[in-house]
Amino acid sequence: MTRSAPITAPAPADSPPGRPAESRSRRRSRRVTAHPVAGALFVLPFFLVVVAFLIVPLGYAFWLSLSSKSLATGVKFSGLDNYVRAFTDPLLLDGLLRVVLFGLVQIPIMLGIALAGALVLDAVTTKFALAFRLIAFMPYAVPAVVGALMWGFLYSRTFGPFADLPTLVGGEPIDFFSVSLLLLSLGNIVTWAWTGYNMIILYSALQGVPREMYEAAVIDGATPVQIALRVKVPAIKQAISLAAIFTVIGTMQFFTEPAIMARFAPQISAGYTPNLYAYNQAFAYSDFHYSAAVSFALGFLVFVVAYLFVFVNRRRGARA
Amino acid sequence: MPGTTWLAKLRAGLAACGLLAVAACGGATSDDGGPVKVSVWAWYPEFKGVVEAFNASHKDIQVEWTNVGTGPDQYAKLKTAFTAGKGAPDVAMVEFQQIPTFIILDALVDMGPHGANEDKDLYAEWAWSQATDGEKVYAIPVDGGPMALMYRKDLFDQHAIPVPTTWAEYADAAAKIKAADPEGHIASFGSDGGWINGLMWQSGCRPYGYSQATAKDQVKINLTAPECKRVFDLYGDLVEKGLMAKDPFFTADATAALDSGKYWTWAAAGWTPGYVAGSLKNTAGKWAVAPMPQWTAGADEQGDWGGSTFTVTKQAKNPAAATTVARELFGKSKAAWDIGLNKAFLYPLVKDVAADPAFTGKAYEFFNGQKVNEIFVPVSEKLGEFQYTPFQDFVFGELNDRSAEAMSGSRSWDSVLEETQKNVVAYAEQQGFKVSK
Repeated sequence: MTRSAPITAPAPADSPPGRPAESRSRRRSRRVTAHPVAGALFVLPFFLVVVAFLIVPLGYAFWLSLSSKSLATGVKFSGLDNYVRAFTDPLLLDGLLRVVLFGLVQIPIMLGIALAGALVLDAVTTKFALAFRLIAFMPYAVPAVVGALMWGFLYSRTFGPFADLPTLVGGEPIDFFSVSLLLLSLGNIVTWAWTGYNMIILYSALQGVPREMYEAAVIDGATPVQIALRVKVPAIKQAISLAAIFTVIGTMQFFTEPAIMARFAPQISAGYTPNLYAYNQAFAYSDFHYSAAVSFALGFLVFVVAYLFVFVNRRRGARA
Repeated sequence: MPGTTWLAKLRAGLAACGLLAVAACGGATSDDGGPVKVSVWAWYPEFKGVVEAFNASHKDIQVEWTNVGTGPDQYAKLKTAFTAGKGAPDVAMVEFQQIPTFIILDALVDMGPHGANEDKDLYAEWAWSQATDGEKVYAIPVDGGPMALMYRKDLFDQHAIPVPTTWAEYADAAAKIKAADPEGHIASFGSDGGWINGLMWQSGCRPYGYSQATAKDQVKINLTAPECKRVFDLYGDLVEKGLMAKDPFFTADATAALDSGKYWTWAAAGWTPGYVAGSLKNTAGKWAVAPMPQWTAGADEQGDWGGSTFTVTKQAKNPAAATTVARELFGKSKAAWDIGLNKAFLYPLVKDVAADPAFTGKAYEFFNGQKVNEIFVPVSEKLGEFQYTPFQDFVFGELNDRSAEAMSGSRSWDSVLEETQKNVVAYAEQQGFKVSK
């Protein structure tokens, strides 16, 4: 799964939401106007990189998406026709529905495990915990393609250790690539690869929680479980929603695992996930214009979902 | 994949420097009076020797070869390069079913004006007709995949099951195999678009028609003809009865199954002996080749699975020199075919090479000394006209995806071709074609 690494560190758990931040930023902006040239110079390198590698390619892709190419008649300007086609394309919508279902099941499971792991790591301070932290993080260091290939073999009936397990008790061998199990098999790979990564994000957030809060809770007579659920989890809520939003974005862009796994499982069709569909439109069917429209439509959806997620979270946070 | 392209370029540069120790690396034209350099993309096995043979026998033209990936990987790079307007090689290896696709992308040079029509009689007729559009020569054939039935002779003999000569007998044999060995299957339905296409071809099904020269925007699609449907009726029935396995081809599972007695046959192509000989170590010497089972007893209908050509791209700096490369890399070159036949195990589409006793009389250890080319060569000679659509990737993808649905039980086998027909027609119309049946 293609997931951008976090550019910013998880927000400190104790940063107060709302007004104080605003007043701080007003103070900062006054300082910037005092040294406009120096400020611009500081920003310039980053700005150039953003323009060259983000704004210009995005603009080009958007421009591509505004014309249509048909094999028989060539390229012509078509306005938003490609977007109408994309949002009514059953193959794309099927793929979209598939990743949404996938996310609804996989994301809570993965973040749940990651959170549990982080809480345990935070509570236990032995050498074992250090080793566990390293091991849990290791799958993230394995390139996604290698991980998918590896699981392809682990799932194999001939070479894998799992498929034949039921036969030990007289059952049928498992076909991990069958339609009914395929999403679960993919979900397992993703969970394997990303749980450790999310665990580390949550663990570092826990490290930032002031220890005095735990002492206070202990004095109040809280059990370790109560401390974990009532004190620690609320304290790192921002880190949890950060991990969740990265995961949601990554899930919408699900690509590498199904693309690799298609070699083992012919059920993974050309439009299995929206990203796979965009790839095939461009590089198998030579329709870069429609591919650009699909990518943009997907990007738009990701933006909307991410924004809604943040918005709902803020609202809930403000109410709490 | 910008990283990959960059690496590919670097590799191309390194390869060129390695091959041409004398000539300077870099420039692709010959303003200095040196040899013309022609870049080639191809993924044939053992191709390095073929390139060296060409370069040794040509003073004025030198080939710079890069392997940028197999099949779809290379096509993805080609399509990107054609869209970008630069970055394509002068000469590219292209499979037969892809030729109309690249023609309609306006990517291929007509080699006719550069003398390629002289080669017409050199090649198997079916191959030449797929590589050309009237007098326009878009590709020079290299290798093909005439189909025949590979089977485990030892197991068929041991259980006294007759080798099927018709598809009805094939279905009977499938049931007998299951009775003889509950773990055994007559074969696997690989849901490979090219393989399914070969089976349909062999059944007399001609689902596609396209000629850019006559009508650029007209295409014939008829996947629901009885000759096409009977293939899916037969195979669907075998899969549903559990007599045929469902492993996709060329996976570790499928290869292991072939090598362990789980599959007893494989409707394979002329290139398969070379492909499998290396990976089926346990069962080497136990296999034999028989002609494809027929739909009507005593008939002689044949099909092809795979095969490739050399094309000259519109981005070639020197199309005449590139045409020479496409025609002569293999062509009549004895040195090249020595490698092609004995190391790369290509099935030659050059008629003289295929008819050479050195090829037809070659005994294969893998087939216990059987001279299997005595079966493949007549098949290739029998192959008739077969056309492809200019969007064959989409068609094969549909065939693949819809059969996969049928195999998983989410679609009836009966509806695979109807659904494919419907989707392909919709796609063709969306792409601006007038569709006829």
